[in-house]
Amino acid sequence: MNRRTTLSALMGRKITTTKSAASTKLTSFSLAPYTGEWTSERAAHLLRRTMFGPKTEEIALATELGLSGTIDLLFEEKPMPEPPLNYSFTMDPLVPVGETWVGKIYTADEGNLRTVIRANRERSLVAWQMRLLIESEMSIREKMTLFWHNHFVVQKSTVRDPNYLYDYITLLRSNATGNFKQLVKDITVDPAMLFYLNGRQNNRRNPNENYARELLELFTIGKGDLAGPGDYTTFTEDDVIEIARVLTGWRVFDYLTVNPDAPRGPVFVSNLHDLEQKQLSHRFDNVVIENADEEEYNVLIDLIFQKPEVAKFISRKLYRWFIYSEITEEVEQTIIDPMAQLLIENDFETEPVIKTLLSSQHFFEATLIGPMIKNPLDFVAGMFRQFDIKIEGNLNQNYRSFLRLDQTMEVHQMTYLEPPNVAGWKAYYQAPAFYQSWISSATLVPRMQLTDLMATTGYRFSGQNIIIDVLAFAAKVENGTDPNVLIDEFTKILFPQPISQAQKKALKENLIPGLPDFEWTVEYGDYLADPENNDLRTGAENRLRALVKAMLVMPEYYLS
Amino acid sequence: MKRRNFLKSATALSAPVFLNGLQVAAMSNSSLLPIINSAPNDRVLVIIQLNGGNDGLNMLVPIDQYDKLMGVRENIMIPENQLLSLTDTLSLHPAMTGVKNLYENGNLSILQSVGYPNQNRSHFRSTDIWTSASDADEFITTGWLGRHFDPQHPTFPTDYPNEDHPDPIAITIGSLISETCQGVGTNFSLAIRDVESLAPLSEGAESDLPDNYYGQQLGFLRNAIAQTNAYGDTIIKASEKGNNLSSLYPEAGANGLADQLKIVANLISGGLKTKVYIVSMAGFDTHAEQVLDNDPTQGIHASLLAELSTAMNAFQDDLKQLGVAEKVVGMTFSEFGRRIQSNGSSGTDHGSAAPLMVFGNCVNPTIFGDNPVIPDEVGVQDGVQFQYDFRSVYGSLLVDWFEASEADVRSYLFADFQYLPIIQGCEQTTSTNDLPIIKGGDLQITNFPNPFIQQTTIQFDSNDEWIKLSVFDAKGGLIKVLANQRFAKGSHQITFQDSRLPTGNYYYHLQTDRRQQTGLMIKL
Repeated sequence: MNRRTTLSALMGRKITTTKSAASTKLTSFSLAPYTGEWTSERAAHLLRRTMFGPKTEEIALATELGLSGTIDLLFEEKPMPEPPLNYSFTMDPLVPVGETWVGKIYTADEGNLRTVIRANRERSLVAWQMRLLIESEMSIREKMTLFWHNHFVVQKSTVRDPNYLYDYITLLRSNATGNFKQLVKDITVDPAMLFYLNGRQNNRRNPNENYARELLELFTIGKGDLAGPGDYTTFTEDDVIEIARVLTGWRVFDYLTVNPDAPRGPVFVSNLHDLEQKQLSHRFDNVVIENADEEEYNVLIDLIFQKPEVAKFISRKLYRWFIYSEITEEVEQTIIDPMAQLLIENDFETEPVIKTLLSSQHFFEATLIGPMIKNPLDFVAGMFRQFDIKIEGNLNQNYRSFLRLDQTMEVHQMTYLEPPNVAGWKAYYQAPAFYQSWISSATLVPRMQLTDLMATTGYRFSGQNIIIDVLAFAAKVENGTDPNVLIDEFTKILFPQPISQAQKKALKENLIPGLPDFEWTVEYGDYLADPENNDLRTGAENRLRALVKAMLVMPEYYLS
Repeated sequence: MKRRNFLKSATALSAPVFLNGLQVAAMSNSSLLPIINSAPNDRVLVIIQLNGGNDGLNMLVPIDQYDKLMGVRENIMIPENQLLSLTDTLSLHPAMTGVKNLYENGNLSILQSVGYPNQNRSHFRSTDIWTSASDADEFITTGWLGRHFDPQHPTFPTDYPNEDHPDPIAITIGSLISETCQGVGTNFSLAIRDVESLAPLSEGAESDLPDNYYGQQLGFLRNAIAQTNAYGDTIIKASEKGNNLSSLYPEAGANGLADQLKIVANLISGGLKTKVYIVSMAGFDTHAEQVLDNDPTQGIHASLLAELSTAMNAFQDDLKQLGVAEKVVGMTFSEFGRRIQSNGSSGTDHGSAAPLMVFGNCVNPTIFGDNPVIPDEVGVQDGVQFQYDFRSVYGSLLVDWFEASEADVRSYLFADFQYLPIIQGCEQTTSTNDLPIIKGGDLQITNFPNPFIQQTTIQFDSNDEWIKLSVFDAKGGLIKVLANQRFAKGSHQITFQDSRLPTGNYYYHLQTDRRQQTGLMIKL
């Protein structure tokens, strides 16, 4: 057991109201395939962790397909999305409204026109990304794209160039369940990354070590305990310096270019590259890297990946993304180590290891179903997705509505393409709080305000009223005229674990305050028989709104 | 013995306690305690976290080292005639007129070269070290203030708020709670974005919590909701009662830090008894374009320092006008300083120690420590050698401001604690000309030969006291502790020899429980 886990096990208990001696109740430490009963609860758990807000019919489908059938479906290759469009800006000389700006340069500066064009393209990009989350198909791809974004962080406020940001996120998306080693290579010379961690300013005369350090500490091998001055067990301060030299010579053309011949992508400038030998420390077996010009970064990364700690480091991160934050000694030995082994055996292909993890006995442990506090994107996009909240309208209205949603993410503390810093969101690395760091007085209030709004009045925006269609949501429930069935079925979709009888009773009070069950059966039945009748419709709808509103503020809804 | 157990026994004992051979309980609090008009229960500590690693050498410029700095960071140096002079040998960045004003009013204390042994240059790890106050090779998940609060509030958050403690223990302005306030069981800080957004939340129907991970997290959420509601009321009331009077705050939205501090001043003046507020600003990770190529007085770093300085000055002005200035002390910190050498991108990379500011009516308005010594030959990785361990700053504030005992501070914070008279009285000083500069240099320490090839001898005077003598390399790494013991009165010599060491710059660091000094030693 490493020291950090020991200490967090000793000192990191969060809840004072529950004593947790044998609290984890983990019984299965095994990546062996899950062979237990396949129920809709298990299916919903798998989908919640791999998608944003699974829908009623998707949970039904997964229940029917079984575990391996569902896994196959989640990993099925899907075509890449169409690129984002110019949705309304009429002053971009090279990009008419309705066409994509991807791959387009700018025209010579007229006043601040270029700045305005850039800002419009960026808005189009983030709106497009928000739509991809909400309109995503039944696939693991968006969850994994976000995983890699949290791993290989760039911030749009630093990179600034929408084209390079598009290329970056497309690289992650197209390799979402691809090869980790190849992804590290590609990201090392990715233009957005060269901007973000100053790789483009790294040259033989003035090495800039920003990327070199994060490549080791955050992207591949991780930082171990301090073993001596400047020696972090997995690498040393001198390695940072030497690796910065390996990576010298890469440039990117400025993001506001007006030059039609400017290459889009990284450019290797050999006279900016350090040709001398680079001497790594004993942590890398004192290897000397000879000059290999633009191939040198590949040599370096192959070398880093020879260290077994790389596979463990990424395995822990995948574990915290898909399973739980606490990695006990048993988990380290029985889950992380075999995951790492599997990665190495498959030359760092991630698909086999993720599939194995998601199909394992461990994944379906009862104590691991539901203890993950949803991150804000999961919470917000998941709600839009699972309730089929429609954002339609013409091109302009559609993009503007998704843009608005993206902009509201700031108060929830998680904006796509804008993690707080290069380490990503705290929830996935900061012990002992981990997922709990999403929750504070400052974030609880806007979460609850948002669900209240979506469940009751909705918000009018850009020509549409964006709101949960509670009648459509209820219509998916068979025998929904029985209020107990209705609440049970809603619970299965919205909460990870069953709730108590007392809670069900309290929820029923929201649906039919002080009334016997049959009143719902009659009223809702009447509406179903005559859905065009406005009185019947409004009566049923308002009762359902009260129920959904009450369910969405329950802390159970915050868990996955 | 575990820290916690030790803490309990240490506080229970009235007999002297020995730590590192040093008798610590001999000194009672009262002998140290400065004259402060506010009652201890009313005192507030405001922490300003500067995320990213602030370039101390361009913030507080040692003028006596200016030429040497020009040799290694010319592309980012501020022209000497543009700097704001504080003393004969120290000047501030020209963007910091507000801080200069604080200094001239006797409201500012600056500690030079604050850091720790074995400087870690990862943002995340070094931030953890600063917030947990651990050794560099020690992993502690509790925060330094969390450990201070733990014994006072052992059951928190159960049954909080209550009659004795109606107000939040600590508040973070922003959306994330602060790691400094992480206790053994829970975090003592409440995060608020602004007072307006504290609407009551629905608490939902209860159920039994299953005894597993799911139950733990569900319990956490329920607690967070209940507490937000409970504290929301008191915060809103304090805010309605409180005020802001300073005209020095920039307009809302123009200075993020000032906006945060304005909320703090408002809540303090409204009578909220919260002990600690944490505010923060980001962006100090200036690897590139720290200064503008055509004007080094402008650029990212200048904007950051202007924001910081303006906000601090406006806040202090507000506190005075609100009549609560004697209750409040502020402190800045950043996870590290930056390299002595600049890089070719008009920026600086991760370094070691840097200055730290403490401000308020009751601070000792002076500059602690010697100017950093810039070697003739600066290695690419060289940082500023630390003089003061940051935990001595924390500990001194806990002792003088929050009346923690020195023994407790040694047990839950820092065994090698050095008391620093950062808090003085709250009397207004009239002229900064009379201010004593607290130098390390009264320790009569030298080494010879220097430069050295094989070995060098360090000679120092002891006043019959515990002395720790260590040698560091220029990256902040601890090479060797040469002595950690009591020395009889008189002059002593210790020889340092390590033939495997590469040539370059090294530092000795001598510390007693009241004084410290560092010096440059060059190995040829």
